[in-house]
Amino acid sequence: MKEYILQVNNLHKYFSDQEVLKGIHLDVTKGEIISIIGSSGSGKSTLLRCINFLEQPTQGDIIYRGVNYVEHQNDLIHLRKNVAMVFQSFNLFNNLSVIDNLTIAPVKVLHKDKTTSREKALEMLDLVGMREFAHKNTKLLSGGQKQRVAIARSLMMDPEIILFDEPTSALDPEMVGEVLDVMKNLAETGITMLIVTHEMQFAREISDRVIFMHEGIVHEEGSPEDIFINPKETRTRDFLKRVIKEKD
Amino acid sequence: MMNKLVKTILTFVVAFAIILTIGQNETVLASTIETDSTEILDAYDNIRFYSSYNYQTLTEDRLNQLIVDFYVPASYGDVTITWELDSTYLSLSNHSEIISVQSTTGLVDIEVYPVTILQVPSILHGDETFELVGHFTYLDESATTSYFGTLVPVIPDTFYGGVLYTFIRYIKLFLEGAALTLGISLVGTVIGFFLALLIVSGKTLTISDSESKSVRIIKQIIQKLASFYIVLFRGTPMIVQASFFWYGLGLFGDALACGLFVVSLNTAAYIAEIIRGGINSIDHGQTEAAKSLGMNKFQTMRYVIFPQAIKNSMPAIGNEFVINIKDTAVLSVIGIFELFNQTRKIAGMHYRQLEAYFVVAIIYLFLTYTVTSILKQVEKRMDLPLKELPSSN
Ligand SMILES: Nc1ncnc2c1ncn2[C@@H]1O[C@H](COP(=O)(O)OP(=O)(O)OP(=O)(O)O)[C@@H](O)[C@H]1O
Ligand SMILES: [Mg+2]
Repeated sequence: MKEYILQVNNLHKYFSDQEVLKGIHLDVTKGEIISIIGSSGSGKSTLLRCINFLEQPTQGDIIYRGVNYVEHQNDLIHLRKNVAMVFQSFNLFNNLSVIDNLTIAPVKVLHKDKTTSREKALEMLDLVGMREFAHKNTKLLSGGQKQRVAIARSLMMDPEIILFDEPTSALDPEMVGEVLDVMKNLAETGITMLIVTHEMQFAREISDRVIFMHEGIVHEEGSPEDIFINPKETRTRDFLKRVIKEKD
Repeated sequence: MMNKLVKTILTFVVAFAIILTIGQNETVLASTIETDSTEILDAYDNIRFYSSYNYQTLTEDRLNQLIVDFYVPASYGDVTITWELDSTYLSLSNHSEIISVQSTTGLVDIEVYPVTILQVPSILHGDETFELVGHFTYLDESATTSYFGTLVPVIPDTFYGGVLYTFIRYIKLFLEGAALTLGISLVGTVIGFFLALLIVSGKTLTISDSESKSVRIIKQIIQKLASFYIVLFRGTPMIVQASFFWYGLGLFGDALACGLFVVSLNTAAYIAEIIRGGINSIDHGQTEAAKSLGMNKFQTMRYVIFPQAIKNSMPAIGNEFVINIKDTAVLSVIGIFELFNQTRKIAGMHYRQLEAYFVVAIIYLFLTYTVTSILKQVEKRMDLPLKELPSSN
């Protein structure tokens, strides 16, 4: 039997009386790379945001390593330390330099030593090719650079899982590549990743599993070959056709 | 006489300073006497000057009498005084006159020498000082008493002359007022800023369902209080607030302390709203990122949102300082001699309101313009360096 580090059980989410997630089930094993695709408004972001409680689940369980955090919300720091998030709009802290963006959480939340945190931050920046920008103002960075810094920041807490919500959607096309490369390298380190993306080629290359969401449910899931080459559901086929057409 | 052994110089400059003003002419008399005899001091105390205006007696308790010229007494009791005066602006007559002076026992005739003002120095020349020396013999002792007088320039009739005169003559008073105005405004803005941080913290308290009921209720009360405070202080004129605390409650022994208090509280309400706007203008994404990194609400506010909100609010906070420079004028109502009240005093001295308020308008303009320019420079500089993260230890 497989060991699941993260389980989403029967997750429902309402925004007032609009049901956005209609009973999601998702089991994630360690080291798994999962891409989540689906049309706009299907609830992909909401799913990720519920997993680390940026949105409060209306019903259902979020179980990380045996703890159901829906029932243990006082302990969310523990969940968030282990489940990091990378946002579409980077969300770097504008008042802090690149390196301080990385060190602030370890220093203030985990009370790590400042010098060791800085050393670690430089390592992480190295990993995303941003070491030379350590002392720069975040305002001076390009979108691609910002997102790489944001990824480095998400690594600072030694998370087991990283949630990516359309990490390249806000980027100019010429910068998409550098961010995807960083993510590919990251995937090789064995970290678990849940990626909401519209980059189908990338999803196909990187994923162990692909999830197609439609109107708040997991409509179809399977290996990249299953989804991209032999999708069973018509909605999946329609969606892929539409996305591929858009690309051309 | 024991006092004879010690050489004492007694100076009564302040005690006997008389500003003699009428129409255009002004003289100020101040006296000193060099003596080591108490009797002479007593005698000296009995020397009375008289203004030519209704022949009023000029004594310490009747300062600021209006006279054109003045008279020095030829004697007191049986003692004769001979006067000397060396000045090109005043002349002391050799011929005595008899004037009738109102005393407690009715009209008395007194022999006096008139002192006539020949000409008045211009404001550019400045004050003209003179010395009026009186010699007399009392109880077989010769004594000399000196009165130092000042002939003060006259305010010209023309507007420009009046402006120049008002400015030069009262520059010290204006500066004192301006210093007080700047001081109250600056200190009030700084204190107001720190109070505002408290108020904003109260107003932006986030209440989550996971907290216990009592905590939620307390937080709600704090929020309501903060909102009420802001509404109260932004919704009432500062002149009313000042009067309320000074005359109404009378909690303060010192008007200046009361004024600072009112300006600080008032400014706090405005700055609180400015900072709240600054907080709201920070995109929500940064808060979410902080949350996703495990930072709690306080840490998020303290290390991410507040620094940016305050930095963005700096121009508006600086503007509050400039507004205070103008608005502290209302503190005149509780008797603080800040710039405006000082001007009212000055305007009353010559009944030349136009010139006085013209000068003070220029001074206010100068202050606000200069402060605004300095703040702009500071803002420009603040943009450049990036602050290091404060150490956690
Ligand atoms: N905070 C919110 N309040 C109300 N409705 C919301 C909120 N967030 C999302 N929704 C709604 O929930 C639905 C799902 O949104 P979600 O952002 O999860 O979609 P998505 O699949 O991520 O779409 P996209 O590809 O455009 O990012 C949408 O109809 C959206 O309008
Ligand atoms: Mg989305």
